Amino acid sequence: MFRGVRIARLLAPGRAVLVEAQRGRKSRTDPVAKSKMGRIKVPPPVDPVEMVVLRERYADYKLIIRALRLEFKEEVLRRKYEEEAGSMAEERMRQEVEEHRNLMEFNRQENLRLLQLRLVRMQKETEEAQRTKLEEALQREQQQQEFVRQKEEEIAQLQEDAKNFITLDNLDQRIEEVLDNPKNYNFAVDKEGRVVKQTMLQ
Amino acid sequence: MVHLSPQLLRRYHGGYVVIRMALAGHKQANRPFFRIVAALNKRARDGKYIEQLGTYDPLPNTHNEKLVSFNLDRIKYWIGCGAHPTKPVAKLLGLAGFFPLHPMTVTEAERRRAQAAQTEGEAEKIQKAEM
Repeated sequence: MFRGVRIARLLAPGRAVLVEAQRGRKSRTDPVAKSKMGRIKVPPPVDPVEMVVLRERYADYKLIIRALRLEFKEEVLRRKYEEEAGSMAEERMRQEVEEHRNLMEFNRQENLRLLQLRLVRMQKETEEAQRTKLEEALQREQQQQEFVRQKEEEIAQLQEDAKNFITLDNLDQRIEEVLDNPKNYNFAVDKEGRVVKQTMLQ
Repeated sequence: MVHLSPQLLRRYHGGYVVIRMALAGHKQANRPFFRIVAALNKRARDGKYIEQLGTYDPLPNTHNEKLVSFNLDRIKYWIGCGAHPTKPVAKLLGLAGFFPLHPMTVTEAERRRAQAAQTEGEAEKIQKAEM
């Protein structure tokens, strides 16, 4: 009785035989096709000899796979450990710290150098600005003086002209003068450009 | 309402990492190309994966070879982290020599050999009957 049970268990395949209907092209609501009305799906028949051999093979395979998996797990853990607290880790940390220090030092030196350059540049710029300001002030002064001079010239000119103005006092005198000296504005021009001012006087 | 981050949600739903084949989206009809990929279990076949671990070209090339590539270092890492390879990936790895040969490969080969021998025997019988 027990041998029979054991053989049955040996011969039976590992997983469930009855597979549920898979959803292929049709959905839940589609009716069954006419050609498949009374069909009962049956999985392919199991060869008992082959089944026994297969079970053994699967047992071996699973054993080896399990061993491999544990080995890989151990390797992963070992690598992580070495990464964090291995022999090379301290040296790497030390090198990193040293490199960091060197770089910071280099940075500081660079900053100093650039600071010097910047100070010199700024000094030059301030001097330039002062110089330009002075020059501009001079320019403005000169322009003002020029302006004043021009205005004074104009005033002098006006004053001179004012001597020849016709006022109420000079009115009679000037009229008399003009009437005494008739001025002739007529002239003639030739095609060659010869100007003739002497014309027939009335 | 408790809001969890995606990682915590995945832990809660109990997903695990699988090493499987995903179709590379080349969008050419009748020309498949697979990527061997470490992805979470519930993800779509061609969806977001964690890392690509190799390729598999199912159509043979001009020298009648089917090309497969594996990143063995990363595959070791993922299996060490608890990933499960699927059946076709396990078969390919077995053929490559990284895993032991899968039992179904051997069984299929035996079955085919038996079939071939049977058809040969029948052909011989038919020839003898004709003669």
